[in-house]
Amino acid sequence: MSVKQPEELSEEFEQDKFERELTRAMRSVDPPHGFANLVMARAQAEVPVRARLLWMPRRVQQWTGGVIAAGLLVGVFFGEEAHLRHQREQAAQQQFETAMRITDRTLEHVQQQLSDAGVRFDH
Amino acid sequence: MAIADDEFRRLIEFYQRMVYSIALRVTGDPSTAEEVAQDVFLELHRSVDQLVGADHIRYWLRRVATHRSIDAIRRNSIRPEAAAEEWEDDQSVEDDAPISSIRLQARLDELLRALPEPMRVVVVLRYQEEMLPDEIARMLGKSIASVKSHLHHGLKLMRRKAAVTMKEYVRETA
Repeated sequence: MSVKQPEELSEEFEQDKFERELTRAMRSVDPPHGFANLVMARAQAEVPVRARLLWMPRRVQQWTGGVIAAGLLVGVFFGEEAHLRHQREQAAQQQFETAMRITDRTLEHVQQQLSDAGVRFDH
Repeated sequence: MAIADDEFRRLIEFYQRMVYSIALRVTGDPSTAEEVAQDVFLELHRSVDQLVGADHIRYWLRRVATHRSIDAIRRNSIRPEAAAEEWEDDQSVEDDAPISSIRLQARLDELLRALPEPMRVVVVLRYQEEMLPDEIARMLGKSIASVKSHLHHGLKLMRRKAAVTMKEYVRETA
């Protein structure tokens, strides 16, 4: 086992002292003012809409669910109404076209009969 | 389940000094440190579900803050202000000059900036966070011998640099 020389012991002591001074000097420092608010704002901006809904209080979640369900019902109701109206319009259009075709054919027939009878249509 | 806003704010307020100080001392730049610290907390916000207990959160924050700070140094190509060897070989410096913590604190950032990155990181974790070499080794994924070597050389370089700059400091203020 080697015996340490006085210079070595002094260096060790000085090293320890330096380390102690270093620990004292390296105190934690405060971040700039408003740091927490900035992080909170960035975190909230990152949260997806679905997650935000999950974070809502239960009562708000129930109300939100109710409003969404009511909105869907109203949407379905108006959608169905629009569909029925469209169907009715199409049926009416078809009936009108059929009636027009029958009328055209009848008129052509009458015109043909009159023509055969010698009636002339001079305009 | 995600963390509630008030709980997350409490975590930020409790750990912000630690995270910002690690980032500041490792990067050596206040604006980079603020950016790194913000990113660390945002990462915590996304990962908090996987962390159990205060010790786990503190360990995780230290580790992520250290790694993000190292990434920032490399990304921004922040280099030591002087090559360590320049003052390591300066034999005219008196090693045994007494250095008070107040004077050391005044020049601390300058001393740390002069250290190469691996030494700076272990010095910050050892003397600011008061972590043991084996804890630092585990956190950084390095061997204990490597951490001890960085600590030894880092301290040696800081002592020399401190002796030089303190002398200058005394001369400047006299």
